[in-house]
Amino acid sequence: MSSFSTRWWVAVDWIEEVIREGRRSVDELEVFYVEGTSVSADLKRKNVNLATTSRECGLGIRTIHNGRIGSSSTNDPGTWRDCLAAAIASGKLATAQTWSGLPDPVSLPASPLSFDPALECDPGLARDLLGQMLEGAAEHPAEITAGSASLSISSETLANSHGIRYRDHYTGVSLSLEAIERQSTGYEFDHASSLKDVDPRNVGEKAAFFACKSADGKDIPTGDYPVVLSPLAYAELLGNVFVPALNGRSVHSGRSRLAQSLGETIADPRITMYDDPLLPRASGSTWWDAEGTPTRRIDFVRDGVLRTFAYDLKTAYRYDKKTTGSAVRGGFGGLPAIGHHNFIVDGERENILDERVIYIHNVVGAHTANPMSGDFSVEISNAFWMEDGGFEEPVRSAMMSGNVFDLHKDIAGMSRETRAVGSLILPSIRLNEQRIIGK
Amino acid sequence: MPDVKYYDLRHVTGQVTHIDIDNGIVESAGTSFFNKAVLRVLDRTGWGIIQIDNFTPCTGRKFEDLIQSARKLAGITEEIVELGEVPHGILPVPPLKEDPRAVSIEEKSALLAEIEEAARHPLVTNRRANYVERIEQVRFTDSSANEYSYEMCRSGFNVLAVASQNGNVQMGFEREHSIHGFDLRHRQDAGKSAAEIAVSLLDAGAVKGGKMRAVLDPELAGVFAHEAVGHASEGDLISEGNSVLKGRTGEKIASEILTIVDDPALSEFGFDPVDAEGTKVLRTEIISRGVVNAFLHTRESLAAVGNGIAGHARAMPGEPPLVRMSNTFIENGDAKKAEIFEECKNGIFLAGSRGGQVDPGRGIFQFNAEYGYLVEKGECTKMIRDVSLSGEILSTLHRITLCGNDRKMSPGYCGKGGQSVPVSDGAPHVLLLDAVVGGSGLD
Repeated sequence: MSSFSTRWWVAVDWIEEVIREGRRSVDELEVFYVEGTSVSADLKRKNVNLATTSRECGLGIRTIHNGRIGSSSTNDPGTWRDCLAAAIASGKLATAQTWSGLPDPVSLPASPLSFDPALECDPGLARDLLGQMLEGAAEHPAEITAGSASLSISSETLANSHGIRYRDHYTGVSLSLEAIERQSTGYEFDHASSLKDVDPRNVGEKAAFFACKSADGKDIPTGDYPVVLSPLAYAELLGNVFVPALNGRSVHSGRSRLAQSLGETIADPRITMYDDPLLPRASGSTWWDAEGTPTRRIDFVRDGVLRTFAYDLKTAYRYDKKTTGSAVRGGFGGLPAIGHHNFIVDGERENILDERVIYIHNVVGAHTANPMSGDFSVEISNAFWMEDGGFEEPVRSAMMSGNVFDLHKDIAGMSRETRAVGSLILPSIRLNEQRIIGK
Repeated sequence: MPDVKYYDLRHVTGQVTHIDIDNGIVESAGTSFFNKAVLRVLDRTGWGIIQIDNFTPCTGRKFEDLIQSARKLAGITEEIVELGEVPHGILPVPPLKEDPRAVSIEEKSALLAEIEEAARHPLVTNRRANYVERIEQVRFTDSSANEYSYEMCRSGFNVLAVASQNGNVQMGFEREHSIHGFDLRHRQDAGKSAAEIAVSLLDAGAVKGGKMRAVLDPELAGVFAHEAVGHASEGDLISEGNSVLKGRTGEKIASEILTIVDDPALSEFGFDPVDAEGTKVLRTEIISRGVVNAFLHTRESLAAVGNGIAGHARAMPGEPPLVRMSNTFIENGDAKKAEIFEECKNGIFLAGSRGGQVDPGRGIFQFNAEYGYLVEKGECTKMIRDVSLSGEILSTLHRITLCGNDRKMSPGYCGKGGQSVPVSDGAPHVLLLDAVVGGSGLD
């Protein structure tokens, strides 16, 4: 780790200067600096077509003066003076609000939660991962159309005028493969912070399996069917509609259907939903949130009852709440906003495939769901009649309609297996009467 | 001159100004800066690509070192990539009617607040308006001594109104984005319209899913062209074998009235003066009178596939170019709007778009309307909400049987390979028979 500590002092030097300079004009300020490298290799059919390396950096500055919050960002840290000036100017435009200060430093563990010291941004390793995916895919006769393997290492530094000086390191590996068999496609992916947590052969095997197994599907008539949504299909609906409705800012500004539902049963009583930022090796894990608030588990839904919403400092101060440590940053140099770290759906698990059901592996178009009302109608993909856990006849094409909020009351069971889909960690769920529109 | 088969370098610097007003509160407003470059090198096999944040242009030894790093990286590639011969050249960027940089951010903020304020209504619980102005300076050079530089300014606003009543929550949304300059003056109509849509949707019914006749408005029919035809005609997908349009050049896949075009040279939101690999941009007729005519290409996909036109390489700053659409539209036909409704008789009229998605290999697409109306005896009657359409590319195109003569383009963004680029889509009103409509309504 010696290289990191050297760079820390280099980084700290100019960041201290930003804070000193900023303090001459504003009450408080926060400096966020991220830098990283990544390497990726992409397949075109079965051959490696391109290899990429990237060096990324981003600086975000936030200023607070008389309750007015200003911000700016740049990926040229050499021009931090311009960025600081832009942040201060931006603060003059913002509406003043109640503000009770940036966090003070606390002692946090130094060991990174989401970091694999063995992971290197080595192009040869990316190529080998592609090779393993192709080996897995060879178990089925589908054609490979595209694939990608990427490796990344990054570090984030957060400093503020109250003395916070936090730094953490992250690694990531992500894999994907696309396959086709006649007019039937299959897609699979995997991602983790550690190399030992991904299974490239399985990614390849599953992509090719779904392409082959979905060929020669049959149509089904419109009706209400028992279905199982895979973690992937469930994540599409949950992530586009349900999770944003837990955002405290949306709740207080009238953009959430859950706004009036605190203390009410909004899901089957067996269901618990929480954010666990401290889960070792999960991709969203972190000791501190994007504003330097120490993170902790947040129970949004316990036994089906809605318990809390997610807050950052700004929203919490404005509405007289406490921050839940839910501030995250979008991308390099992004500014803090309310989000989640590792959003988990949990509860009583069982075998949900013991009766005949339609298993839906993925959906097309979930981002077009109505984020306010929760109504959706999406195309289903890689759907099958399933019996005793075995994939039987594929369904050729159909739509699925419903309401993302209401369906949580109708969840009839959760699978024992869970899967990470981005920052959502989910089981498969069973719905006993789901509207399917045939063609 | 570096000793490689090909290289190009695309360096983009610029700034983004934004204003976010939420229920009368200026949540944030200000300017951020970026500087990103991407270097691509082709030697014996495939691409070696270096993405660099905070790039300082360099020459001589330093540039040679970068080229050699990219070349070394390309050592893990296997595919032998060829590049098609293409015309080069750059179009003038249309002049700005009013340069947003000449307007103070205080004035912009005040004008945006008027639009947000116009969405006020007793049933509207949330009004939100955003302004975004993005200015990019692009510099491109390649190993054949092609050199281009230009500046693009895109600006515009979104306004959202959320209406609530008895636990029913609905939204209305309007947006206007343009390459023609500052456009926040006298636009309160947009706020008012967002509020009216949101409030009307509180009383709208859910449609019962199934097959029916549908009239699509220009915005939604444009999204249809984008999702159902545009993506499937992208040369990279064709060459990977991941599109149902592969090998169908010259084949009739739609009725004769249907012509679908992608034209990056058009002065709309997806305009590019030159593409992201220095190729001259040209109007490309993807479907000509119902027949598959030309695919959209980069130099690489042109060499691999043929049957199409290059100049469709697009990229976000610092990202490698991909085959992308720009301004995609269904050409005008000769039907009048009234005739289209008359011919529809009983069905639905769908308007506005919440986006769409396609699986080009499977040939299946889905897209969603903001709102619609039942059509009874050729007249719009009851308002309906949350209607999606899905269909199969190869059969649905034959079912477009009437095209109006009132084409209109709408701005938006399109995502592919983790990159989002500005596009516009458009069409006249069209009639689609046997539309598969997804809705949660019951009998």
